[in-house]
Amino acid sequence: MELKPPLVIASGVGGMGEYLQLIDSKYIGAYTLKTITLFPKQGNPPPRLFATQNYLINNIGLENIGIDAFVENLLSDKYAEVFDRTKVIFSLGGDSPDEYKAVAEKIAPHERYFEAIEVNFSCPNVKEGGLNILSDLSSFKDVLSCIRKTLKGFLIAKVGIEGAIVEKIAQIVEDHGWNGITLINTVRGLEIVEDRIIKGGLSGPLLKPIALRAVYEVKNKTHKLYVIGSGGIMCEKDVDDFFKVGANAISLGTVVYKNPMIVERIAEHIWRCYR
Amino acid sequence: MESFTLTVKRTFKTSRDSYIITFNEKIDFVPTQFIMIETPSVVRKPFGLGNWFADLAIGVQVIGKGTQYIVEQKILSAHGPLGRGFVPPSGKGAMISTLACLAMAFDLHQRCGCDVFIGALEEPQIEVPFKTVLGDQQFVELLKSLKGYDWFYVVGSDQMEKVCFELLHDKAPVYLSFNEYMACGLGACRGCAIQTKEGLKHVCVDGPVFRGDLIWN
Repeated sequence: MELKPPLVIASGVGGMGEYLQLIDSKYIGAYTLKTITLFPKQGNPPPRLFATQNYLINNIGLENIGIDAFVENLLSDKYAEVFDRTKVIFSLGGDSPDEYKAVAEKIAPHERYFEAIEVNFSCPNVKEGGLNILSDLSSFKDVLSCIRKTLKGFLIAKVGIEGAIVEKIAQIVEDHGWNGITLINTVRGLEIVEDRIIKGGLSGPLLKPIALRAVYEVKNKTHKLYVIGSGGIMCEKDVDDFFKVGANAISLGTVVYKNPMIVERIAEHIWRCYR
Repeated sequence: MESFTLTVKRTFKTSRDSYIITFNEKIDFVPTQFIMIETPSVVRKPFGLGNWFADLAIGVQVIGKGTQYIVEQKILSAHGPLGRGFVPPSGKGAMISTLACLAMAFDLHQRCGCDVFIGALEEPQIEVPFKTVLGDQQFVELLKSLKGYDWFYVVGSDQMEKVCFELLHDKAPVYLSFNEYMACGLGACRGCAIQTKEGLKHVCVDGPVFRGDLIWN
């Protein structure tokens, strides 16, 4: 996968391409769509967000239209503008091993649309799937094998730091012939606001040292994986740090909410310093 | 919709914790549309667009560090305008607002000639060009006295909107502006979901204004 610049818009944050209304696509290497599951998901009940200067907790719950409606939209060119303007990464999710495999089978005939397929093994906001897959390694390996057989293109596993040691997971991903890994997804967080508990995936600056360590460990353990560093990148210095520990690309998430124009600034920094 | 900076022309208090900020720039918007403004938080905050006499304006109620930051700035980064905006139904309408939303009220009054009523907890710190009542009791009496309107539009706290809906919905349709937490404001993050009788809706793209009877009985 060759991204120019090696800058990805993270899944979930970018929705289905909405931020292309604000960010010039020439600054984006690839745009990851919102995770799509086998069946439509309404997502979790509100409240879904809580933010401070240091972190965001989101409890969206993978709200999405499901793979059948997604493919229908894809074939009727509903997302044509996104594909016309930038490379697109499909984000695949599921509630069980069988669902992951089923979504892979349904997207397989349409792989040509995508620069890569990223499989979300780590959403902390759904009861099944996500983190649960990583806690059962034999099931995880089975899913990796099946999806690798089904999909022929560039395959990326998106994982968090929970469920198993991240470098171990990365080694398994590499051993199953996958091409890349995105490190890291949000981690489970909880905050109490006005006596109400808000649980969800924690993202933002607080994640950076954790994500950086994950990238560092994975780069030392694996040899071939294309590593996309993701977690708490807010400025040029953060980008430099991720590249220093070996990331092949960086993924921007929460920072896009804070200021979408930072994407352009970071892309210019990458061109200037890493060309 | 676009990203832009706004330069503050004037910031002035309307009450103990509410402000109107006017800007040197103009934005083409429809009533009740909003912009997302950058704060020290990792997400931007939504503010309804309005006018204060000839100037573009927003109203801000200081409820924390983010809103405090906004009233202290001379330049603000933002994107918008966002949301569907509110097209008032035909007939005679009334808007009920707090002092924090005075700029939106002024805009709607200018555009459609609706009557505006302001509920405040204390004497306003500026001259308000609309009928203003002080305290909960007077506010409830005002709501009970409103007659002959074809629609109501309410903007304020969740609690105030609920009271208004309960006292007004038998008289005419009541439209409410919702204040759900947002991250993007443009439909990407799906964070601002609210439960309605037609399923989940998203305040940023389906609203921010909804008919009250879509939400409450």
